[in-house]
This record gives sequence, C-alpha cells and structure tokens, in this order.
Amino acid sequence: MNLVCVGISHHTAPLELRERLWFSEQEIKATLPLLNSEGFDEAVLFSTCNRTELYVHVRQPELRVKFLTDLLLNQKSAADHVPHDQFFNYFASGATEHLFRVASGIDSMILGDVQILSQIKEGFRISQEIGASGFFMNKIFQSAFHVGKRVRTETVISEGAVSVSYAAVELAERMFEVLGEKSALVIGAGETAQLTAKHLKSHGIGKLLITNRTAERAELLAREVGGSTLPFDDFGNHLADVDILITSIQSDNYVLSADDVRRIVKKRLASTLFIIDIGVPRNIDPETRKIDGVFVYDIDALQGMINENLQKRQNEIPKIRSIIAHQVAELYQWYSSLHVTPTIAAIREHFEAIRADEVEKNINRFAPHERELVEILTKRILNKILHRPTVNLKNGQTQTASEGLLKISVLRELFDLGSPAEKEQNDD
Amino acid sequence: MQQHLPKLIYIERRSRIVSLIPYINILNIALPVLYFGIVFVYGKAFFSDEAWARGIKTKIFVFTVVLHFAYLILRTVEFRHPPVTSIYEMLTVVSFSVAVAYLFIEFRSKAKGTGYFIAIIAFVLQLISSLFIRDLTEVPEALRSNLFGLHVSSAMLGYAAIAISAVFGFLYLMLYHEIKSNRFGVVYQKLPNLETLERMGFTAFKMGFVLLGVAIIAGFVWLPSSGLDFSYLDPKLIGTMLIWLMYGIGILAKRRGDWKGRKVMMLSVWGFGITLVSMVVINLFLSGFHKFD
Repeated sequence: MNLVCVGISHHTAPLELRERLWFSEQEIKATLPLLNSEGFDEAVLFSTCNRTELYVHVRQPELRVKFLTDLLLNQKSAADHVPHDQFFNYFASGATEHLFRVASGIDSMILGDVQILSQIKEGFRISQEIGASGFFMNKIFQSAFHVGKRVRTETVISEGAVSVSYAAVELAERMFEVLGEKSALVIGAGETAQLTAKHLKSHGIGKLLITNRTAERAELLAREVGGSTLPFDDFGNHLADVDILITSIQSDNYVLSADDVRRIVKKRLASTLFIIDIGVPRNIDPETRKIDGVFVYDIDALQGMINENLQKRQNEIPKIRSIIAHQVAELYQWYSSLHVTPTIAAIREHFEAIRADEVEKNINRFAPHERELVEILTKRILNKILHRPTVNLKNGQTQTASEGLLKISVLRELFDLGSPAEKEQNDD
Repeated sequence: MQQHLPKLIYIERRSRIVSLIPYINILNIALPVLYFGIVFVYGKAFFSDEAWARGIKTKIFVFTVVLHFAYLILRTVEFRHPPVTSIYEMLTVVSFSVAVAYLFIEFRSKAKGTGYFIAIIAFVLQLISSLFIRDLTEVPEALRSNLFGLHVSSAMLGYAAIAISAVFGFLYLMLYHEIKSNRFGVVYQKLPNLETLERMGFTAFKMGFVLLGVAIIAGFVWLPSSGLDFSYLDPKLIGTMLIWLMYGIGILAKRRGDWKGRKVMMLSVWGFGITLVSMVVINLFLSGFHKFD
C-alpha cells in the first residue's frame, strides 16, 4: 500500500513548535489540493493541539517525505522555526498502524483521550468535502474509526477520571443521586478550581456559588461558568446549604477547622458533605475527614485516584494492540484482494494474445471448414490451462495478505505484467 | 352401601394420582439450587462483568421467581393452607417477597448492580426453609382468622422490607468506606451512588417499620380471641417490640437530623441481624407460642 504519513506530535516536538503547525479548516482546505497537482491521488490532514498529521496515498511507490514536510512547513510559514527532525514519518502498514494507534487513544498525551477520534473524523470530513480523499482513504479511515469504536466498547481505556477536576466531579457523581438538586460553593478562583467549577456545571450541578478574596475574579468566573457570587466575608453563613465545597485559596491557616465542619454538619439535614481541598497548603483541617458523612479529598487523594485510573488504562494496552493488529491484517487482506482480479485479467490477456497470434499465423494451414474448430479448440485448451491457476489465485484471498501479495508479484514478474493497474482499483 | 363403594375408591385413587407432593419436593430442592445459581450469575456479572452473565441474569431470576410462586401455590393447594403456619413456611414466603421486591427494583429503578447481594438473602432464607420445612396439613383452628392473616402477611412483608433495607444498608456502608478510604474497586465502580443506596435503604426501612407495626397491632388484637395459651411477657413478643421500637427510634433520629446516613444504615444492618436471630433462636428455643406445628 503506497501510504505515507508525515506529522508532528507531542512525542516529537514541544508545544511551541506544534502550535506553529496547527492547521485550521480553511488552511487544510487550501493545502490538500496542492498535493493533487503533485501526483498524490488522495490525502487527509488533521490537526489538534497535540499533533498535526498528513496521510497521502501515492500512485507510485516514492518516498517524497521531504516534499510533504516542506509543504506543511511552507503552508504555515514555519520553515525557519520547526526543524525537519521534529517530524515523524511512517510508510505502508506502518502508516496504517500508526493511524489506528492514534484513533485508539493509546498514542495520545493523556492515555485513552476520547477527543482524538472525533478530531480525526473531522479531518477526514474536510478531506471528503473538498474531494481530496476517495476510495483508499475511505477504506483506511473507516477502518481507523472501527478500531476507535471497538477500543471504546471493548476496553476501559477511556474510563475513570485522569485529571484533578474530572476526578472531583466523578466522585461527586458517586455520592449524589442527582447533581441538579445539589449546590456547590467554590472558594477561590485558581485554575483547578475554575476547571472543577466548569465540569460541575457541565454535569448539571443545581446551584453554583463562587467566592474569592478578589471579588472581581469571582465575578469573572461566575459569568464564565454561569454561577453566582458570594462576598468572601459572608461565605461562612452559607456553608450549611451547600453539598459540595471546593476550596482553593492560599492561606497559612485552615479556612475551616474540624469544629467548624462539625457545626456545619449539625445544621444540615442531608447526610453527605463533599469537600474538595485543592489548596496548597491545605485549606481544610485534615481531622475533618474523621467526621461522619464528610468526605474530604485533597490534591494527593485525587492524584492517587488518577494514578489508579491511569494504571487501569495502561493495563488495556495489550488488548488494544491486538485489536489494531487484527484490523491492520484485515485491511491488508482487502488490499491484496484488490490485485487479484486485475492480475487474473492480465494473465488471461497475455495468454489470449499468444493464442490469437499463433492461430492467426497458422490458420491458413487448415481447411476453411476446420478453422472455426481450431479457434474453439485452442480457446478450450487455454481455458483448461488457466482454470486451476485462476481458481487458486481467487482462493488465495483466504491466505494471509502478504502471501497473497507475494504470489501476485511473482506472477506479474514471471509473465512481465507490470504493476497492478490502479485504474481498476479506482473503478471498484 | 354396596352401591357407594366404587365411588369412594375412585376418589381415593384420584386424589393419589393428582398428589402434588412430588412436585413440591422437587421444587423444594430446586429453589435453593436456582437461587444459588442466581447468586453465581449475578456475581459473575457484578465482579467480572461477563457478557453471558449479564445476558441471562434477569431471565434466570424471573424464571426462579415464577417457579417459587408455583411452589407456594402448590403448597397452599396440597396442604390446604397458605404457607404461613411455621417459621420455615414463612421463610420461603419472605424469600419470595424479597426476590419479587428486587425484581421491581431492577425493572423500575436506577439501583442496578445490587441483585447479587439481594439474591444472597433470598438464597439463604430459601435454603433454611427448604432444609427444615415439613409437610403440614393440620392447621390449628386458631389460625383460621382474618386478623391472623393480616398479622402474618404484614409481618412477612415487613421482614422482606427490612431484609432489603439491610442489603442496601450493607452496600451503603461498603461504598461509604471505599470512598472514605480512597479505594476505588468494583464496589465503587458498579454500585449505585451513596445517596441512592441511602434513599432506597431508608424507604425499605420505613416500610418495614410500618408493616411490622401493623403486624404487631393485628397480633395483639387477635391474641386474646385466639384461644391460645400466651403471655404478654413472651420473649418473642418483647423481642419483636424492641426491634420495632429500635426501627422507630432510627426513623425519628433521622427525621430530626440527629442521625445521618451511615448511622441509620448501620441500624438497618444490625436491626435485620437481630431480627433474624429473633425469628430463629427465640422461635426454636424460647417462645411458648408462635409454633403451630
């Protein structure tokens, strides 16, 4: 398969270089047509914050990697900033395997990242929209989507939170029946507190209150996530009404002592109070975790949960590798089968030409009434000679893809048939 | 007389032909085996997440409950009374009630993943019943009363409710400790959330309290007219009253906000344990009445 992949990713280049090679939809649409005029018949380009990858299918097996990297660099005017050694490249089955790894999420910066599959789909959609991808890319990318789907249904690669803010929300969902009936108070407006507030909102938290020493920052965050603010001096009066408390402020003293929390719990009718303490140093007295019905998670506890989830995802990698290997084999089976029909046709043409030529040369040696018989007889002999090889070639599709391709290449070499006709493949 | 003789013989033979005892005996063995099968299949689905187990678990549960219902009907028909006259007859009815209640929970609520634990209760109750149940045809006249029927049926539904409450309480405590101690195993992943477990546990808890209350009142009203030799200081009566009061105190404490989820759920587990002891030990060794066989 004459597939070439060149790209840049978090494995090969730092963020500042990856940023320079980020392609918008418009830029992709401007770049792909340039490839067509250079003899590449199909191409897909997708770009995320962690990677930019270009897949091209070429008519002739040529390794024009430099041309492709130069194209990417020139399109983004990044030739002076991003050296060539920041790029990776893959060929043939290596390229398909790489694509499947990316689609499965095991090549992602965060193992099992679910977003990447939709980003690949988007890249493929753009390519289809402008007619840059066709028969081959369709098959290859559909196989990649199939890998992505199987991996997500058959393994737990994308399960369990792997970021502090998600871990906090996941825990909240294990405690409360309906988040929509709960209220949360965010004390502080640091980055993790912001993210946690956003995730809580996107998971449908009923009421989101935000307070901060600097009221403007609290208001800014409240506007951004759709919450309301409380004066910092007054938040203590509202603690009995909240079910989830997120603290993330810099303070030498505890924001809440264990006795404070005990008093709050006494005032509450509900059983569970969930406190996420992201402050460093900690904002909540660690003694608080001994109180009945109070669940306190600090940054270390959440990190422990994340590590455990990451380990579970790691354990799935062998299963995913076997899914990928299976899909690569299936793709090559399909690819080798593409060559069987044109090869059979070429052999028949080759023999038919010899037969016709010999009959033509010698036909006058036969009486006129015998000439039709000669035609029939020679055709019958030819059919009988070619019957077994034809059947065996067709049945060869059940063998491994590489065996099938080897047979075809031997036959083509023996009878001097040239390379498989791309025209027929495109006609399929 | 001569003319009537053939008819009598015919009736006798006919009643022997349609005897239901072989079927009852088969079901008596089959039910604990089936409940054990349910525990096994639900366990496989819960702990190993095996697809075949997930596929058949509810079917085998429904099948068993249907057979269990048939078993209760067969006993009622064959022995000419509902199976509520001995503790082992009652245990099979409680086991059935627990199983039916769980099926409702599985079909109608979000509390999926609790079947394994509830099936254990149904299995243990049915196993004890199957091992010791006797074929009793003679029922004392005292038991043929509507008040007695109300007493027994509300008591059994009450026991089923507190058994289910105990299971939810137990699951609540497991999940509570798992979250508190930062462990995120199967219990964390598969069980419903804490609040759901607490709500369902407490609902069953309240239902148990109300039904046992009805049973106690019906029992007290019925006793003097039953003709039985009884005493209000009977250990069974005192034990049941204490259990009922304990559940009542739990509800009050929760309502007032003095007790939160964990304490109430602990009471639910302990309450059921004590009730089980009361049902088995007091009935077998202490009580003068409540034994009719």
